[in-house]
Amino acid sequence: MTDTQDRQTSGLGFVGQRVKRVEDERFLIGAGEFVADLNPDGVLHTVFVRSPFPHATINSIDVSAARTHPGVHRVFTAAEINAVTNQFVPFFTEVGAYSPLYDVLSEDRVRHIGDPVAMVIAESRYIAEDAAELVEIDYEELEATGTIDQALQPGRQQVWDRADGNILADLDSEAGDVDAVFAAADRVITQTLDCPRQANQPMETRGSVVLIDDDGHLTIHSTSQAPHFLKWAVAGMLVDDGGFKNLGRFLRNSSRRKNFNAARKTFMAKNKSKLKERDMNVGKTQISKDKSFLRQQMRMGMGLLAAEDYPTVKAGDIGGAFGSKGPVAREDIALAAAAKLMGRSVQWIEDRVENLLDGGQAREERFTISIAVDDDGTLKGLKVDAVLDHGAYAGFPISPVVTPLLWKLYMPGAYDFKAFGLNAKVVATNKGKVVPYRGPWANETWMRERMLDIVAAELGMSPFELRQKNVIRADQLPRPMITGPDMDETMSVAKTLDRAIEMIDFDQLEKDKAAAEARGHRLGIGIASYHEAAPGPPNFFKSAQAGSDMFLHEDGRAEIAADGTITMFTSQSPHGQSHQTTYTQVAADEFGVAMEDVNIVWGDTDRTQFSFLGTGGSRGGPLGAGVMRMTARELRDQVAAVAADMLEASKDDIEIIAGNIHVAGVPSKGITYKDVAAKVAAEQGVTDQTATVFSENMEYEGVGNGGWSVATHVAVVDIDLETGMVEIPRYLVVEDCGPIINPGIVDGQVRGGVAQGIGAVFYEKLAYDENANLQSTTYMDYLIPTAMEIPSIEIEHMETLTAGENDARGVGEGGMIGAPAALTNAVSDALGVQVTEQYLPPYRLLELAGVIEPS
Amino acid sequence: MSLPSVNTSIGEHLAINVTVNGEARALNVDPRRSLADVIREDVGLTGTHLGCEHGVCGACTVLLDGEPSRACLMLAVQADGTEITTIEGLADADGTMHPIQQAMHEAMSFQCAFCSPGFLMSTVALLRDNPNPSEAEIREELSGNLCRCTGYQSIVDGVETAVTLMGENA
Repeated sequence: MTDTQDRQTSGLGFVGQRVKRVEDERFLIGAGEFVADLNPDGVLHTVFVRSPFPHATINSIDVSAARTHPGVHRVFTAAEINAVTNQFVPFFTEVGAYSPLYDVLSEDRVRHIGDPVAMVIAESRYIAEDAAELVEIDYEELEATGTIDQALQPGRQQVWDRADGNILADLDSEAGDVDAVFAAADRVITQTLDCPRQANQPMETRGSVVLIDDDGHLTIHSTSQAPHFLKWAVAGMLVDDGGFKNLGRFLRNSSRRKNFNAARKTFMAKNKSKLKERDMNVGKTQISKDKSFLRQQMRMGMGLLAAEDYPTVKAGDIGGAFGSKGPVAREDIALAAAAKLMGRSVQWIEDRVENLLDGGQAREERFTISIAVDDDGTLKGLKVDAVLDHGAYAGFPISPVVTPLLWKLYMPGAYDFKAFGLNAKVVATNKGKVVPYRGPWANETWMRERMLDIVAAELGMSPFELRQKNVIRADQLPRPMITGPDMDETMSVAKTLDRAIEMIDFDQLEKDKAAAEARGHRLGIGIASYHEAAPGPPNFFKSAQAGSDMFLHEDGRAEIAADGTITMFTSQSPHGQSHQTTYTQVAADEFGVAMEDVNIVWGDTDRTQFSFLGTGGSRGGPLGAGVMRMTARELRDQVAAVAADMLEASKDDIEIIAGNIHVAGVPSKGITYKDVAAKVAAEQGVTDQTATVFSENMEYEGVGNGGWSVATHVAVVDIDLETGMVEIPRYLVVEDCGPIINPGIVDGQVRGGVAQGIGAVFYEKLAYDENANLQSTTYMDYLIPTAMEIPSIEIEHMETLTAGENDARGVGEGGMIGAPAALTNAVSDALGVQVTEQYLPPYRLLELAGVIEPS
Repeated sequence: MSLPSVNTSIGEHLAINVTVNGEARALNVDPRRSLADVIREDVGLTGTHLGCEHGVCGACTVLLDGEPSRACLMLAVQADGTEITTIEGLADADGTMHPIQQAMHEAMSFQCAFCSPGFLMSTVALLRDNPNPSEAEIREELSGNLCRCTGYQSIVDGVETAVTLMGENA
């Protein structure tokens, strides 16, 4: 560990400590406020009528019986909702990609089982469920596409008429001279690896409570990871007239115009260089496929300009998400539209079956990988053909191209490849939508690390040696990845790899293998490493697409009220990551006060600053906590300046410990934040004790030229050849997420991610048949691992620090990124076969072991 | 307070008597409503959560005459005459947390905590019947509750911490 840190903590030193969680004070007594707990007086309950077919046209819909069912207030057909809402338009585009535009509810065609076609709004959910059964719909089935193979076949029924067959994106990228490097290498090893469809499955489903007041203002209580984005999406999509009428309205409204121009100027000035970098061709393929893109975008833009009143979104306690609650749901917009049309407050709490059908799916991907390698094990080149099964609808705002754009950067990993080529295709199928799932790009690690073991086996080399030989080491840094992003010493994969290997007792392992065999079991070990941008260097996102980093700063605010109360405002939307605790630790240290003296406000769009992403992308530690630290520090200094006057001392001599503001060395003559705030309030003539007397807003993009979070995972698996059941006698994570704010919380994030990886490999699969019928619509079929299946997980922390100020680095996604590779590598070692799929349930393990015939 | 959601049908309601967290309650419920919905909406105790509504995730676990039960799988009318304990009934009247709550706090057992009511109620029953369980017994007892955030280790630690705390208090 280098010891060049400048100022990690101040005051009482909560940062770095295993401080108990503030959140638990309410959760553990049952006093959390999840969206389904609000159940306000007078709210009506919504049930969506959903397609039972994977692909069909709708000939007619008859809602008359449902409408007259006692207790039903309204039934909206798709046509009625779509008449008052805009379409979902793609947010990111790329040359070679087309992202379908789609309606809020499906009117004349359904594209997956669960596609919403109507909504029933009633006194209770029970009545709404009854009435939903009474909706009569005449469907005519179309050929459905249920697999990647089918999607790649030309001439099939298309999911989207304007796409090229069922291919939504076909993207090429190349770094280095791929052909030359492959031609010069001693050999090329090729393999195809498959990953089935998984689901995020937070324990709380999605849901919204949309309240409408007498003026028609909407307050949306939501499970959103990105409340500000939801607010803008609702405002932009509930536009009741066309673009040009809105333009007129905007032009006639001088205050709106003035605000817009001021905001535009600030934005343009701040993002001048980023705007210049943008490739204006990115929308080209989109527009050539579907010109309505421009009209719909204009309509939404004009609507946003003209709208007088945007909804307020409030995200309270959220029961997990893992990426699935980031996208704006079609249901969210439909509910807001219904509340407006009825003038009544409405809510929808998704049920588990709906959540499995369309609450967010991920990772169904196929990779054909070629590695060019010399006989001595020197890795030369990497070439990948990847296909992502995207399902029917694009998650909003994450379009089909986002995962391939990240693959393009990450795939070579921490190894010294001289050339890298990728063709990534995204295909549409008649399945639920793909959303980000804890490291949305994560299969790049699985396929690379699985492939390295295949290469090692072919060369007769140990997988440990192959990795240690080719990993980029500290003395080779700083340098950029072959794909562009800069790497500094925080790209410390080599360090974690060496440490992990050091922590394996290979002699004991051989004994354990023999003992397992004697019991009719097979035991094996697997290793895998990755580095992820958390938040990554400044050029990370621009390496994916120029100009794409424009909205990625994190904003925060610190305030002190007249009575001395300290409040921090974050634009993050916590849903299990313990932001309230860690941000309190960070702010309390900066202010030099006790943790109880800091309040954290989140989730309320009226009180927090805009954030495009909310919580996502492992940014809550580095950027979210970073901006808390910077704003708190600035405000502390303002307070110290006033205190210096009051104490007749120099500002630099002011020390604040446990809330006692004093001249260094004279703690007995101290004053408090309350005293300082009272003085400023008196000077300003402020009498309201809750009024703000100190305030600081900041935008933050992090420090340094690295920002990598890395780990090496080691798994040992023990497979019972009689039952196919797997035990994991050892699971080790050697991780480096930089300076740790709270080790208890970091450990929890790592273990939780690994648990999801274990689920993915041995238990979880969204099983669609080849006609795209989902077979796993309950927890009896989609198996979430329990305390019996998840072992204790050993964690070793490395904490690489860089020169100067250090940000924490994100750690939320990594567990899930490393685990599938380490586990499938361990299974391969145990069974002596090269596993080529990620999902390995008992029957498959027995097939691979040769115990039973392949089905 | 009667919420609109309580009126779930135009059919006949049935009177039931239950004790919830020590307090006697006379309720008039639609026979088709689940116990979980009645606890959450009629009694207004929203600490009991609904994760799957088909009896697998265990977030809705309450104690029914002391036995851990899935409130989502039962009709409220089936609970007539029983004594129900929910997560809100664990702490003392003065707000002092139950040792199991204290232990879970200490062990940083949960993250989003949506599943926590079920784990807490299952643990109450586990430690009553087996005050000194092994790790394997804890894992087996808690295998009826799903958590998606933690990987369970911190929850198992919480139960072990509770064993120590309750041993000290005994």
